[in-house]
Amino acid sequence: MTPAWRRGAVIALWAIVVAAAAGAGAMLARAPKPVTHTVTIDGTSYKPARLAVHVGDTVVWENKDIIPHTATGKGGAFDSKMLATGATFRFTVKTKGGTDYACLYHPTMTGRIEAE
Amino acid sequence: MTHTALIIAAALAVPAAAGAQAVNDAQIASIVVTANQVDIDAGKLAAQRASKPEVKQFGQLMVTDHTGVNKAAVDLVTKLKVTPQDNPTSQSLKAGGDKNIANLKSLSGAAFDKAYVDQEVAYHTAVLDAVDKTLIPNASNAELKALLVKVRPAFVAHLEHAKQIQASLGGAQK
Repeated sequence: MTPAWRRGAVIALWAIVVAAAAGAGAMLARAPKPVTHTVTIDGTSYKPARLAVHVGDTVVWENKDIIPHTATGKGGAFDSKMLATGATFRFTVKTKGGTDYACLYHPTMTGRIEAE
Repeated sequence: MTHTALIIAAALAVPAAAGAQAVNDAQIASIVVTANQVDIDAGKLAAQRASKPEVKQFGQLMVTDHTGVNKAAVDLVTKLKVTPQDNPTSQSLKAGGDKNIANLKSLSGAAFDKAYVDQEVAYHTAVLDAVDKTLIPNASNAELKALLVKVRPAFVAHLEHAKQIQASLGGAQK
């Protein structure tokens, strides 16, 4: 008769294999084609101010305002530096989670990216 | 609030206090261009003379932003074939701005920084009041009205920014 600890180990091993396979399958099924999102800067605001994205997507900020702005992520996630009128900045999202960002020149101007 | 700030605030408050006193688009254009120019001139001085880096940077930001707003305003009125028309509000703004510059030129160091930042808080408060109560309600051309609506949030950001610096310098001048 197989010792109980061995049976337990075999079951645990199978559980891991099954879970990993399911996880990989789910990841393959869920990984969408990367999309490019545009955030328009105008009237000293980001439009849209909140953006839902997937890891791998690219966000493009385009300054359509009459004054310069930045899109600067908290914690140094990204920084467009000064965007003059008509300038754009691209950032490809690499990690899951929420990132708040703001304009360095206009502290009332804030946005957020939610990546999953 | 400094003496000059009061003068500028009073200049902008006059039409608002008179309630529905009408200003036409040519007068609004003159008020917008003058108000921006007054803040550009003060910003240039602050970018040179301020002692704290954040005050210098704020001065430079005012030059950049108000130059941008003025360019858009001048481009629009040129397109609309509106000639800015001098009026009591724009004249008072100009006079108040000149007095402010003269006062700032007599100061240096921390006194300069404080006077400039206090002035900027008062100025942007007065400008927002004028934009809301006089300029936007009276603008008849849709594009002129849209431009005022578009630049308003920048003035709100400037006011908040100036208040932050004012607090860091030790609060408003009594």
